Amino acid sequence: MTTKKRIELIIEKMAFKRACRVFEAAGAKGYTALPTMAGFGNGNRWQRDTDMSGSNDMVMIISIGDDATTQRVIEDLESLLGEHVGVVSISDVTVMRPEKF
Amino acid sequence: MDAALSTILSPIILFFLLGMVAALLRSQMTIPEAFAKGLAVYLMMAIGLKGGVEMSKNALTGDVIAVFIAGIALSFVIPLIAFKLLTKTTKLDKTNAAAVAAHYGSISIVTFVAATEALRLSGLQTSGHLVALAALMETPAIISALLLVQKTSTDKNNTGVAGAERGELMREVLLNASVVVLVGALLIGWITGEAGMTKIAPFFISPFQGVLCLFLLDMGLSAGRGLRQGWRQLDIATIGFGIYMPLISACLAGAICYILDMPTGDAALLITLSASASYIAVPAAMRLALPKAKPSIYLTLSLGVTFPFNVTLGIPLYILLAETLTQ
Repeated sequence: MTTKKRIELIIEKMAFKRACRVFEAAGAKGYTALPTMAGFGNGNRWQRDTDMSGSNDMVMIISIGDDATTQRVIEDLESLLGEHVGVVSISDVTVMRPEKF
Repeated sequence: MDAALSTILSPIILFFLLGMVAALLRSQMTIPEAFAKGLAVYLMMAIGLKGGVEMSKNALTGDVIAVFIAGIALSFVIPLIAFKLLTKTTKLDKTNAAAVAAHYGSISIVTFVAATEALRLSGLQTSGHLVALAALMETPAIISALLLVQKTSTDKNNTGVAGAERGELMREVLLNASVVVLVGALLIGWITGEAGMTKIAPFFISPFQGVLCLFLLDMGLSAGRGLRQGWRQLDIATIGFGIYMPLISACLAGAICYILDMPTGDAALLITLSASASYIAVPAAMRLALPKAKPSIYLTLSLGVTFPFNVTLGIPLYILLAETLTQ
């Protein structure tokens, strides 16, 4: 068992592809994106199917990697989150098969 | 006046109101997201095909091209007026004002479809090229809005943001689902003509009104939910803008219809297109182009205030205006 860093990014759907490019460019070995249902933040409630443009939709991206990759991802995500709606958190996780991350 | 009344009391509008009231009363009624998107594609295909078939019957004349130019010019100019009004009368900053202005320069295809149905029920003829005009009027407003916030050409693509890709905004604007389906169906209708339409009429003609009722029920739910969730972001001046701006755009378009001596049905559609505000293509483009602008402002205003106003009261008013101007 090995300890790795888990990045959990929740970001508006329209910036989803930008976020994916950040993970890939930083050398992340993988990530998984999940749809979200609804939430509350900055004084606003949002819900996935409120409108057809999808501008209120948010997605969650989870990626597990080593310290160096995580650092590179976070530096670029800072720029992305300066423009787009979203939050990011990092936690230590224990993984099996560390070579996968 | 009869046309106006029959529009308000049509099943399409009453279903829209049902959805809106249900959402405002916090009903749990929902229409599955994927199904609603399928309905939207169906409607755009149907309206595009019908428009294409109508276009195949007539040659592209100078009058038609003049209408196209006028429509595109309106889409460029309306955001400038909207931006000026927003910065003078509301507390919105320049970025939010520009984003809102872009929505009002662009068009709502569902409002257009509702107006087409209202005109058909009133016995007024419309030309197929207005569908092409709807597609042409979707994007110029976005360019106007970007110019309003004094973006440079590189900033337009937001290449400064991590992960941004060159050309992604233009792809979103020019190749969004509504433009692709509408223009594609228009071309297919134009190529295949009446003979092609006859083969698919049972799917695209007869069920059209029923599907439109179902879709507007969902739009009513969306508008009601949007208004319920976002109304705190709007002050009286901004809500007022959502009502008077379509009327200003309608008057501007009405003057152009009068100058171009357009037939009543076509004039009503151009007025409706100009008065409508986007809530599908532009919000998505604004998230990429002006991410600092708040969707809770522009989307609530466009979808929660202007769309219900246009669908219920606006369309009858625009038909009345077109009738008055073309008499």
